[in-house]
Amino acid sequence: MKGMSSLNPQSDNQIPHLFARLLNKLQVAGDTIHTPIEIDEENAQLLFIKSVIDGNQLQNTIIKPFFELASEKRFLQYLDSLPNKIEIVDEETLLVELTRGMLLINVQQRYVLIDIKKVNTDSVQITSLEPTIYGPQGGLSESLETNINLLRQRYAEPSLAVEITTLTDRSKSVLAILYDKEVVDTEVLDTVRKRLGQLNNPLIQSTADLELYLNQEKFALFPSTLLTERPDRIVYNLAGGKVIIMLDGSPQVTMAPAVFFDFMVSMDDHYHNFWTSISTTFLRYAGLFTCTVLPALYVAIISYNPDVIRTELALTVAGSRIGVPYPSYIEVIFMLVFIELLTEASIRLPKAVSATATTVGGLILGTAVVEAALASNIMIIVVSLVAISTFVIPINEMSFSVRATRFFLLLYATLFGLAGVIIGFVGIIMYLANKESFGKPYLKFYWKNRSEEIKGGLKK
Amino acid sequence: MRVFTLAIILLLSTVIQSGCAFKDIDKRILIVAIGIDPAENSEGYKVTLKIALPVASVKQASGPRFAYFTEESETVGESLRILETHIDKVLEFGHVKAIVINEELFKDGIEDFMDYFTRRADIQLIAYVIAARPSAEEILKIEPDTEAASTVSLLNFFDDTGTESPYITTSFLFQFRRDYLGKGIDSFVPIIETNEEKNELIVNKAIVSGEGSDPIVLDQIKTKYYNSLFKSKAGMDYKVEDDNLTFMLYIDKVKMSYKIIEEDKKPTSIKINAKFVGIIGQSNHALSQDKLNHYNELSEKAIKEKMTDFFKTLQEAGLDPGFGLRYRATRLNSDGLYEKWEEAYKDLPIDINVTVKLKSTGALE
Repeated sequence: MKGMSSLNPQSDNQIPHLFARLLNKLQVAGDTIHTPIEIDEENAQLLFIKSVIDGNQLQNTIIKPFFELASEKRFLQYLDSLPNKIEIVDEETLLVELTRGMLLINVQQRYVLIDIKKVNTDSVQITSLEPTIYGPQGGLSESLETNINLLRQRYAEPSLAVEITTLTDRSKSVLAILYDKEVVDTEVLDTVRKRLGQLNNPLIQSTADLELYLNQEKFALFPSTLLTERPDRIVYNLAGGKVIIMLDGSPQVTMAPAVFFDFMVSMDDHYHNFWTSISTTFLRYAGLFTCTVLPALYVAIISYNPDVIRTELALTVAGSRIGVPYPSYIEVIFMLVFIELLTEASIRLPKAVSATATTVGGLILGTAVVEAALASNIMIIVVSLVAISTFVIPINEMSFSVRATRFFLLLYATLFGLAGVIIGFVGIIMYLANKESFGKPYLKFYWKNRSEEIKGGLKK
Repeated sequence: MRVFTLAIILLLSTVIQSGCAFKDIDKRILIVAIGIDPAENSEGYKVTLKIALPVASVKQASGPRFAYFTEESETVGESLRILETHIDKVLEFGHVKAIVINEELFKDGIEDFMDYFTRRADIQLIAYVIAARPSAEEILKIEPDTEAASTVSLLNFFDDTGTESPYITTSFLFQFRRDYLGKGIDSFVPIIETNEEKNELIVNKAIVSGEGSDPIVLDQIKTKYYNSLFKSKAGMDYKVEDDNLTFMLYIDKVKMSYKIIEEDKKPTSIKINAKFVGIIGQSNHALSQDKLNHYNELSEKAIKEKMTDFFKTLQEAGLDPGFGLRYRATRLNSDGLYEKWEEAYKDLPIDINVTVKLKSTGALE
């Protein structure tokens, strides 16, 4: 009970010590505030973390009464009778409580812990980019303070470090770097700091924007940091030792480093039982493979190597192509562009009208295209399959990248047939293997089981 | 900027692409079977192509549509070259699944034209080799009533996706070549026939041929024995007769092993162990479960007789289902090893031991 003895309020010398010790441990938080309040001879000391407490409440229930009562003794009595007073257990829990939004007051050599947590739920947005069935449905808000608050609520570790800086561009946005000091990879952290220091873009408006500049690669196809709006994903990655970059005004944060496989994880995987999550993961990779390779495979098989499919299928495909005037790759490009247009239109349209776009585009045009013999039936199946499997990729950024990849493969298939598809695919693998994300290889398998992964990279 | 210009030029160049390899599937015609007959007028061969025509809508199509092209020439390769000038589309050999050879051609040796098929890279070695009676052209032109749109019923016989029967022998091109040219083994090729109305295909016989020996035709029973003993094809019926009791066996598992007995470095006999497991499928008398052993013995005797007959026929014709190959494979290779075998094989005693294990009399008691 060493912790308890040090909380003993009788000893005069120990009082500043507890505050000093707490302050020392909370130093990484960056927004810890230790302030004395005094009137005449009476005084009290307050310790709290600014971003997680409610300023109004602090003003109304603590500071105002102190000045009105103007007596240490009465103030202490007042505090003792407050309903949101919390029992102090030991120093460790005290730290956790402080990070959650408690206020520690020292009056007349006694410590009182008051809950004046700031709750900001009303401004939190519902997740729209990465919806899950289970798990939290709320995402982040557009205010940095709230977001840090949200994360602290979910990740009540005193080792959670918050570094707040201001961007030097014209927006002068406030930027926060969050990491768990005990598990973070310092190399990555240094790279992030360095790259943030090197930023010289005139205007940065959102995290996605920032992500592109941090990437420091002019012609990148795949994202090298992971953009997310889900607090559970952030906390999961935080615990795993990643660095979170937050920008005030953005409902998304970005995380570094990221490997390819991070983009294929849905938070639902953690909420399902073993075989369910294995099979959905398998499904997702199958979808990834389908949406990259299928159009290219169609061209390669139809125009170069029809002998790899069954005779019956070959006959059906040949039959469905009767009357189609253009070669297969024109047909595929035409239909793919059409589907891309449809997807793009659905994003831009207001929600109320977007259903019309899909109906007109998908159903009516699809049928009409076949009727007019501009594309074959099988092509419509291929294109729909491709479109649907693109949406299976959990992180939107990655599905955008994959959409571009398939055109690259299509070009290879058109020029070199089935061998071209293989060569193109190997090319993509090579490109990915060559890529780095903040010094970490992009295509490396970091084999770890779930509990090891949560423990983080460096925690022993 | 230069990169983009290059990329755009490259992309545009695909529009005018009409190279030799890029051919859309609707500009190709799929050959599903090739038939070879002796030429009618001159020396050489008559080649028949069976071409499956694409169906625009499988649901509405009444049946399959095929086209046939025939050409006579001195060699098979020449005929195919000439046929290219008769058809406006590219001949696609990737889907050739059957090579149908007139039965007569087996007598004169078929090495020279079969060589063409194994050498051509686009004909897959998993094509079936089939003998045709009376002629390949006639067999190819038969379109059975059971044929559905977009399918080729000729092929359904030989892969096990369709019918499965112990009477049907399957011989792939790669296997045929190995067996035909290999020493100590001969090829068993199914014979395909038709009925008088020419609306059925019938496959229940086989022709055995090998390099340097005259082919023989196996009748239904012998074909069945070959398939069940050497290919472990199940689902066969055996008729067993004893005085006035007649019953049919329904065998669902056949296992055969054999051993070549040698004395003084010379093969002296072949010892065959065959095990049949099944039930009694039909009987003209009431059968008793207690007398299963008796039925086993009766069946063993009947089956042994048939098996002896089968092996005798092959031995007399100098054809080998694979004993010689086994002999060569399990002995240290030395000069004259195979000659020694060849000499001995003709009248090598075959010692057959049959075990029949009936699981039940087939009736519920």
